[in-house]
Amino acid sequence: MHEKPGEGILKVKSILEKYPKERRYLLAILQDIQKTYNYLPREALNEVRDYLGIPLSSLYSMATFYKALSLKPKGRYVIKVCDGTACHIRGSLDIVEEIKKQLSISPGEVTKDGKFSLETVNCLGSCALAPVMVINDKYYGNLKPAMVKDILESTGD
Amino acid sequence: MKVIIDDKEFEAEYGEYILDVARRNGIHIPTLCHSDAVPGQGSCRLCIVEVYERGKNKVVVSCLYPITGEIKVYTNSEKIHRMRRNIIRLLAARAPGSEYIKKLKEEYGIPEETRFKVDEKEKCVLCGLCVKACEKLGSMAISTVNRGATKKVAPPFEEPPVDCIGCTSCAHVCPTGAIEVREYEGKRVIWNRTFELLKCTSCGRYFITREQYEYMKNRHGIDMKELLCDRCRQKSTAEKLVSLYKKLLVKKTLFQCYRLQKD
Repeated sequence: MHEKPGEGILKVKSILEKYPKERRYLLAILQDIQKTYNYLPREALNEVRDYLGIPLSSLYSMATFYKALSLKPKGRYVIKVCDGTACHIRGSLDIVEEIKKQLSISPGEVTKDGKFSLETVNCLGSCALAPVMVINDKYYGNLKPAMVKDILESTGD
Repeated sequence: MKVIIDDKEFEAEYGEYILDVARRNGIHIPTLCHSDAVPGQGSCRLCIVEVYERGKNKVVVSCLYPITGEIKVYTNSEKIHRMRRNIIRLLAARAPGSEYIKKLKEEYGIPEETRFKVDEKEKCVLCGLCVKACEKLGSMAISTVNRGATKKVAPPFEEPPVDCIGCTSCAHVCPTGAIEVREYEGKRVIWNRTFELLKCTSCGRYFITREQYEYMKNRHGIDMKELLCDRCRQKSTAEKLVSLYKKLLVKKTLFQCYRLQKD
């Protein structure tokens, strides 16, 4: 997952080449970088700034505004536990507690091996499945704390 | 175009904002995020007024409401007073550290906050004027970061900003004094970055950062031979005008003498 600086910049350049030098592509570019690296490396942001000719402050503002973008590396598997109203009242916080116990990380953190990162989100739009979580693109509904351990163990590279 | 503000009739241009007309005619409407230099924020909502237009009434922010027809405006009706009190209460809960907000709180008789947890030191109301001023001046060193409850104004990565030129426009435009500037021994510290100050070549007072000077030079293409502070520049311009006027006067007198001789 960890890129050598030289290679990293090359990858950013190939992302940038796909887009015209216009500000309106900024979000799309940042999403692509996020997808490639699992986060927005600082050198990459500098490259984007130079390519689009916009100030770093605007980049930083956007990077901190959207939840889908992060400035710190995320795990290879991103666990999103829904804490919307329906999930909240059906015990989503117990699920978070269980994950915390299993992986010893809090929301916003990454496991030491870089495999999992945990976050809570406001709604996944699957309230009928409450409480629900999603690991990368896979949904797990009607969760009970006892199910968490198996799910985490079955999630592998 | 006629407009009635608090039962008095005033003249207004088409499209002029209510606040501007009111201010011109000495009617006080409280504001926080309004600045004549960088208008159009409309984020503090303090300047709300009640507008009666074509039989309907609504509450609008006077700093952004253009006058396009005959309207009646009330700047301090009971409804407005009540709503403004609420706004001030929330602003005070957000930024209790600001002197200006403390004054407003007193003026509107707002009790101490007990319902919300407050950060006594906080002064920023997140109006965004500083960001806009920085953008207008073109160095764009700061921006709003995060969103929702954790939103704040900060430089990129919350480190001393590389793009900052230390002009202190952000601090000057800030209505609540939330941006700290310190000056000592020829140094200026803002956003945790320390700038070296240059002296005025006339009075010897420190007044401008090197980055600011370079920026002006590059942006306006002026290579100033002497570096004058505001006061000395005014003085020097005035002196130049006086000497120019004197020269003109001499010329005029000479010309008159010449004509007299000729006649």
